[in-house]
Amino acid sequence: MVWNDVVAQFGPSTIGGLAFGSIYALIALGYTMVYGVLRLINFAHSEIFMIGTFAALFVLNLVDLSAPLSGLALVGMLLLLIVVAMAVSGGAAVLLEQVAYRPLRRHGASRLAALISAIGASIFLQELFALIVIPDVFHRPQQGGRLPVPGPRLVNRDVLFSIGNANVRTDQLIVIVAALIMMVLLNQLVNRSRIGRGIRATAQDPEAAVLMGVSIDGIVRLTFLLGGAMAGVAGVLYLMEFEVTNYFVGFALGIKAFTSAVLGGIGNLRGALLGGILLGLIENWGAIFFGSQWKDVIAFIVLVVVLLFRPTGILGESLQKARA
Amino acid sequence: MNDRTTLRLENVTMRFGGVVAMCGVDLRVEEGQIAALIGPNGAGKTTVFNVITGVCRPTEGSVYFEGRRIDGMKRFRIAKAGIARTFQNIRLFANMSALENVMVGTDAHHRTGAVGAALGLPWHRAEEKAGRQKAAELLEFVGIAGKSAETAKNLPYGDQRRLEIARALATEPKLLLLDEPAAGMNPAEKRSLQELIRRIRDSGRTVLLIEHDMGLVMDISDRVSVLDFGQKIAEGPPREVRANAKVIEAYLGATADAS
Amino acid sequence: MGGIDEKPRGDTAVTDRVNPRVGNLAARVRRSVSDASDVLWRRWEQAARWQRWLVYLMLIGLAIVAPSPVIGSFMSPFTDWPSLLFNPIGVYVLLALGLNVVVGYAGLLDLGYVAFFAIGAYTLAYFSTTYGWLFWPTLVVGVTLAAVSGVILGAPTLRLRGDYLAIVTLGFGEIVRITAVNTDEIGGARGITNIPHPPNLFGVQFLLDPLPYYYIILSLIILVIIFSIRLERSRVGRAWAAIREDEDAAELMGVPTFRFKLLAFATGALVGGMAGVVFAGKVIFIEPNNFPFILSATILAAVVLGGSGNIPGVILGAFLIAWLPERFRGLAEYRILFFGAVLVAVMALRPEGLLPSRRRRAELREGSGGMGRLGGEVGCASASSEVISAEARQ
Repeated sequence: MVWNDVVAQFGPSTIGGLAFGSIYALIALGYTMVYGVLRLINFAHSEIFMIGTFAALFVLNLVDLSAPLSGLALVGMLLLLIVVAMAVSGGAAVLLEQVAYRPLRRHGASRLAALISAIGASIFLQELFALIVIPDVFHRPQQGGRLPVPGPRLVNRDVLFSIGNANVRTDQLIVIVAALIMMVLLNQLVNRSRIGRGIRATAQDPEAAVLMGVSIDGIVRLTFLLGGAMAGVAGVLYLMEFEVTNYFVGFALGIKAFTSAVLGGIGNLRGALLGGILLGLIENWGAIFFGSQWKDVIAFIVLVVVLLFRPTGILGESLQKARA
Repeated sequence: MNDRTTLRLENVTMRFGGVVAMCGVDLRVEEGQIAALIGPNGAGKTTVFNVITGVCRPTEGSVYFEGRRIDGMKRFRIAKAGIARTFQNIRLFANMSALENVMVGTDAHHRTGAVGAALGLPWHRAEEKAGRQKAAELLEFVGIAGKSAETAKNLPYGDQRRLEIARALATEPKLLLLDEPAAGMNPAEKRSLQELIRRIRDSGRTVLLIEHDMGLVMDISDRVSVLDFGQKIAEGPPREVRANAKVIEAYLGATADAS
Repeated sequence: MGGIDEKPRGDTAVTDRVNPRVGNLAARVRRSVSDASDVLWRRWEQAARWQRWLVYLMLIGLAIVAPSPVIGSFMSPFTDWPSLLFNPIGVYVLLALGLNVVVGYAGLLDLGYVAFFAIGAYTLAYFSTTYGWLFWPTLVVGVTLAAVSGVILGAPTLRLRGDYLAIVTLGFGEIVRITAVNTDEIGGARGITNIPHPPNLFGVQFLLDPLPYYYIILSLIILVIIFSIRLERSRVGRAWAAIREDEDAAELMGVPTFRFKLLAFATGALVGGMAGVVFAGKVIFIEPNNFPFILSATILAAVVLGGSGNIPGVILGAFLIAWLPERFRGLAEYRILFFGAVLVAVMALRPEGLLPSRRRRAELREGSGGMGRLGGEVGCASASSEVISAEARQ
């Protein structure tokens, strides 16, 4: 490894890492909120993200773009995609809660059972797309449901500006900025609004929250809705950035997003942002030294190391008090 | 320091975030005695137990058991060293039988591991047999011999308390910590509990108990320590403590449920 | 629910708190199935020793004659029945028995169990093709390597919360697979071919005929069953049960909980490695794609569907999951879809599985048993001095 190479790759890796990290962070929000309220790893959240990518692709196919967009048209299109994907993913998340978790919650089942139900739901959704949705809705050959589904180019990869030797492209900037905006909005909602107070109260002490007149079912549904909507936004950004998706796209991203949530401190919204960005950066920087085929391994090792040395994450678990 | 001191807490402070649960507490328990720890609700009594058994590591200060420093030791090692406890809210292994609950305690001093068990080696069988027998004896000792096959959660409340004591005794403790053993018992049950605690003492074990029932405490304790807001405010033989002005104030000033 | 000192106590009877909207039907199905299995259990517990042995011998006899074409014509009209009996049925049963030690006995959730299977398989593949090692000694090496990697993975991670452990083990499974893909020394993504068959044993040749392999795996299964039962009924099994029910109380009663969890992990890994070596000995060719996450999930599902902690249940679960898709070919394509839906449905209707052990059933219903209850444990230990504070648990 020549030092100059490292220096030359450092800038681009950093920008790429920030873009990746923003997407991780958006998905991580869903894990973090559900975990904060139910102490459940919503294993199927990765599929909510996957559904978001397909919702965006569906709209793009309908519009039938002939050329990449720019300016106001681009902003309008992005807004449309985001709204649709948020609605579809948010709705799917609420449905998921209704079917896979609510019955278990009702009879006070163990969290082991809930996690297994989550895994079942995750597998079901993946297969549903591979076997039915992708062939039928996206007109792929019957056997082709497991192949990647390409999307159109939404935005040109122009270099907007450079920081040092790092070129920042339009698409990367959009990903980073859009993710930041969504996160600020969500943070405001949770920290400033009445329903946000309900979420925080439930996370801290569900029994007291019930006594204060908070509807737990309503709060849980809302939590899934918001987390799902954020995953929908992540789906749009992912599709724009990579221009391809598949039924299995959520798996690796989901694990990494969960890692991000843990890294920053699960249950903590700002922790999800910090964790996502950090993981994106560490992964991309690590890839300079070890090669990009080891990216996933680097991410998992980061997860293990973080859990060992700081089980409550960098910022601690702030939706509720920290537990070791 | 005389060597009849079984347990010694020196200047122990325990903070949880901003809450100070124990503040500079000194405590000494003499071998072969029944000592009691009393105080209004929230005075930090259970925290004392948690510190002794290694559940909480004290923020400051140290704990000595038979002259050996034990704060910071792993919990199971403290148990093996000879301290066992019961819990304020009963924490039995709810779905195991009474006998199995006690056998978990007897296992504390057993040595066979997975290989011995998997191959059914003779010393493993011998240990199993000895443990089973000892567990049965302990059930008889606490007075629930007939219920050894019963699932723990199906036992009546008083028997669950007794089972917890049997399980703790199975680890062969030199010091037994009882956290509100009489809670929820009727007078008849309390009398027989009192007798059980005496028998435990007479079998050569030291007992430290937390209890709200003053009658019981004054009756059986050799020495009483009083905690209030995490601080020790009085200590001495029951008669002296009962007359102590600070103690009366603490109880009257706080809640009256302790009398 | 407050802190860990306030877990549901012994006085909580197991009640069916059913969502009225889900309907009484589900509750009734659940209850009648439980009743049936209760009756069976009682019968079994009352049976005399010789009666039980008779049943054991009959079952072993059945397993020995299982590959016969008479049975095969019904069980598997489309595929070669003895091959099926070896893989997936035998392999799944062995893996499920191993994972049962981890999930069923110790209550630890391992989502990367396939890693140990892979380690066993790669051990045989690599050492036999590169250094010409023979099958039997390599079986010992593979089993040891798998157990050692179980300890290496478990030592730092078993102190984690139950659900964190699940994710870390999942990560480990992926690390092993990706490492296999990226390491050319062990064939990279192309895998390893021409793995030699085991040498003759007692005059039996190991070639393409699946029968001898079936008998190898059957013997291993019986061995693992015997050891599992003995472990469960010993100090070790009691310690595992105590850990599942109340880890803190167990530790305070002198149970070295960490050591016992590690032991469960290593034992499970060992069996996984064993299955891997035998698998590789038969199939000639392995590649990283033989060891995907979905296989871990499948084996976990077998354990949970069958009834975790109960050996007959686990075997039944593994058998059904391996056999049904092969028997009903129409299902094959939709197999995994179906499987996901079944997992969700079973967790909602019968979280304890088809043939649960009585104790595990109560635990899973009450939400104890390893990870606490959903929603119930949401509130966390307050800093109040009267609870065993979570902060102080190292």
